[in-house]
Amino acid sequence: MMPLDLARGGAPLAFAWRSLVRQPARATLGILGVAAVGALLLDMLLLSQGLVTSMQDLLDSSGFDIRVAATDPIPGKPDIEDGAAAAAQIAALPSVSAAIAVRTEDADIQLADGRPTRATFAGVSGGRSRPWTILRGADIRGEHEIVINDHAAQAIGVAPGASVTIKAYCFGGAEAAPAIPFRLAGIAEFPFDAPNQSGAGTTIASLADACGTPDARTADLVLVTSSGDPDAAATAIAALRPDLRAFTNTEAVGQMQQRGFTYFRQISTVLTTITVSFALLLITVLLTVSVNQRLGEVAALRALGFSQGRVVLDVLFESALIVGIGGLLSLPLGAALAVWLDGILKRMPNLPAALHFFVFDPQALWIHGGLLAATAIIAALYPMSIVARLPIAATLRDEVMG
Amino acid sequence: MSGVIVSAANVTRSFAMPAGAVVAVRDVTLSITQGEHTAISGPSGCGKSTLLHMLGCVDTPSSGTLRFDDQDISTLNDRARSLLRLRHIGFVFQRFFLLPMLTAAENVELPQAEAGVARDERRRRTLELLEYVGLAARADHRPSQLSGGEMQRVAIARALANRPRLLLADEPTGELDQATGEHVASLLDRVNADGTALVIVTHDPEMAGRARRVLTMRDGRIDGEVTR
Amino acid sequence: MATHRKDEPFGPFGPFVTFGSFVSFWAFVVLTFASALLVAQQPETPSILISRQLAELEQIAVGDEVRLATNEQGTDARAFRVAGIYEPTPDPMRLGAVPREVRLHLTDLLALERDASTPAGTEHVESINVALRNPGEAQAFAADVNARIPGVFARGTTGAAGSGSTFVVLERFHLAIAAVTIVASTVFLLALTIMLVDERRATVGVLRLIGLPARRILLQVLLEGLLIAGAGALFGLLLALASEGLINRFFQWRYDTALIFVKVTPEVAATCLAIAVPLGAAATVAASWALLQRSGLRLARR
Repeated sequence: MMPLDLARGGAPLAFAWRSLVRQPARATLGILGVAAVGALLLDMLLLSQGLVTSMQDLLDSSGFDIRVAATDPIPGKPDIEDGAAAAAQIAALPSVSAAIAVRTEDADIQLADGRPTRATFAGVSGGRSRPWTILRGADIRGEHEIVINDHAAQAIGVAPGASVTIKAYCFGGAEAAPAIPFRLAGIAEFPFDAPNQSGAGTTIASLADACGTPDARTADLVLVTSSGDPDAAATAIAALRPDLRAFTNTEAVGQMQQRGFTYFRQISTVLTTITVSFALLLITVLLTVSVNQRLGEVAALRALGFSQGRVVLDVLFESALIVGIGGLLSLPLGAALAVWLDGILKRMPNLPAALHFFVFDPQALWIHGGLLAATAIIAALYPMSIVARLPIAATLRDEVMG
Repeated sequence: MSGVIVSAANVTRSFAMPAGAVVAVRDVTLSITQGEHTAISGPSGCGKSTLLHMLGCVDTPSSGTLRFDDQDISTLNDRARSLLRLRHIGFVFQRFFLLPMLTAAENVELPQAEAGVARDERRRRTLELLEYVGLAARADHRPSQLSGGEMQRVAIARALANRPRLLLADEPTGELDQATGEHVASLLDRVNADGTALVIVTHDPEMAGRARRVLTMRDGRIDGEVTR
Repeated sequence: MATHRKDEPFGPFGPFVTFGSFVSFWAFVVLTFASALLVAQQPETPSILISRQLAELEQIAVGDEVRLATNEQGTDARAFRVAGIYEPTPDPMRLGAVPREVRLHLTDLLALERDASTPAGTEHVESINVALRNPGEAQAFAADVNARIPGVFARGTTGAAGSGSTFVVLERFHLAIAAVTIVASTVFLLALTIMLVDERRATVGVLRLIGLPARRILLQVLLEGLLIAGAGALFGLLLALASEGLINRFFQWRYDTALIFVKVTPEVAATCLAIAVPLGAAATVAASWALLQRSGLRLARR
């Protein structure tokens, strides 16, 4: 029981609390409803920017902050002529720290007489930078050496040092390439691998050999690490090679946002609007019915000397309590719901395992709080107006007649 | 006029209805002085409660002048009128209107908290009032745990919380049996004897007979006055 | 002045007019034939169709001649005549992308892309779409093709995407959102029905006191609940149908597409009614059942 011993200004809060708990079932259900709706609202706010944030983090964590391609959408077809030379040219720029050419094809990897596993096979040009991280064993040092990911290693049951066979399926290849032996140097982690996807990496020359086109020099991309200013480096690359397109990570994400990610932003906007409207409607109804059931009490309080502002404030505080408590509960609920929904969406094909749709963002929390606060205020407006305009004498009379 | 708490001069109150205006109070003139005990009686629908509401500044007249402490009520805004009721007028209702989620003590404390009375003083005054109405032992009981008569006594204690000069009671024994009503009526007599002006609206002749001045209303007018 | 005779309409100039007419006629015939030969010798400009969006962006109209090349430098560009403008089939996978598309005859495309040293007929295509006389035989046909023709992979279009496809996943996502919304709605519904039932507690108390059994009152409540829930569900359905039009129109305008984003099918409507009506009725009964556990005297007392 909350005693009425708060200072005068705080009495409305205590009073609102007592009004709320006089009907515990109703109050509990109202709060739980707000918690459920608030959880959904929070998740939609996380979803609106989650994929973009996650992709940006993924790109940034790869160690490269610029991607260079010959076509507008990336990655396009392998058409950077002499990719290694292009990478070397770009690496020589003062605003560039490192650059490697990358070509990606599909290949079957297997032990002799073993079952093959289809893998994404990346070939990289010279330099020390790699689009993978070694977990066990060593990195590739010479030609016809590869690193593979854990999934591939488990699929074919192989450890660093083993000899494997590569049969590549290459773009533009007129004939089926023969199987080529490679030495497994190490087990690596590829940041853009989808779950249950095998991945492998080697040199670009070894990949060309595996494709049966040892003289081919084309690459899909040049991955670049700037010296600190990716925008300046991208500008310098564009000036050096006007036939190529340089995208900073932010620009690449912007492209993806325009092409593929826009659906999630739209659905999050639609669902945020619907959720807030839903909560608004239901809290308004809850409060209005509650107020209508207490009109006699309100009229009596007004007759006793409670001001119009005071009784209106009581209703506002009641709304604030329902939404505030429900809103606090919605945070852990929203977090759990986000994990569930993220798990559903991550089953989309060919998505990197490290990519997430729901990413915590402090700004989303602020917006969530702001929206709930606005909902509490707007939902209380109508019942507040009922109470403010209550004809005291007529209400007292009606209560007696009723 | 010295000693006059509230005065009404030619006040009329009419209500707009779909079928036409209804005049609940017609051209009434009266005043209530310090320590007075007045009953307003009459048949149902004669305008008694409407007149009481106007005297208590809960309602405003359609025409005429209503003054409290020689101040024209029509010049006061809602906030000022609320403050006036809080500090100077107490109300007792037929339906009690205790807040069900508060205990008896908290119901009595409520107007004091609103008036800014300090906690210790509030607690002291509340206990004093509950003792006054004979319910000190039921201080922590909720209205649902009290009988009708007990609830009305708590309502009287609440009405006296801020030491009003005028106590207005609208059919205070209307929902009570005779014995309980007698008890409540005696309590109200005691309140008046202790110096609070009392105006009671009642259709009960016995209740009205306890007052020193009885005003009889018919069709919105005062058509009789008896002073003992 | 020579006399005008009917059998000599041009008078003494008759022979000259006759000769001039003969020469003119044959000159016309020769010129016409020569023009036709000239046109026939020039190769006809192949025709293409372009997407509406491309036509609007580049201000191209039907009949315009454009040049297409397969590289940015524009080398080896060829002329084509715009025969028509079409509305591209909406592709949900490319939502947000403006479809700057061109439709060519396959031979023209292959000729455009082919290396000059590569003889015609040795190019490859990515896929072949097949329309069967009996679409029901799609799976069997695909299996047959896979068995007979190595190097190709045939599959039916129905269910081709598999359970992991993007839109199957999105459907599951939408269902999850719907489930959460239903849970939140149910909680609020319970709160509201408790409040509404509470308003009638005195009436219910009196009914119990005069002897009506709880079951009888519950039945009454159930019927009321079904009525209210049914009316509410129908109203909700109408609201959904109205919103469907608004949402589709908005997003079709926003993305300049003919995609349908929201579609209230009979199955969807039936599912919603099947969920909403029992939920609403059950909430009313549940709220009333809780109330009926108390004694009539307690309910009737104010």
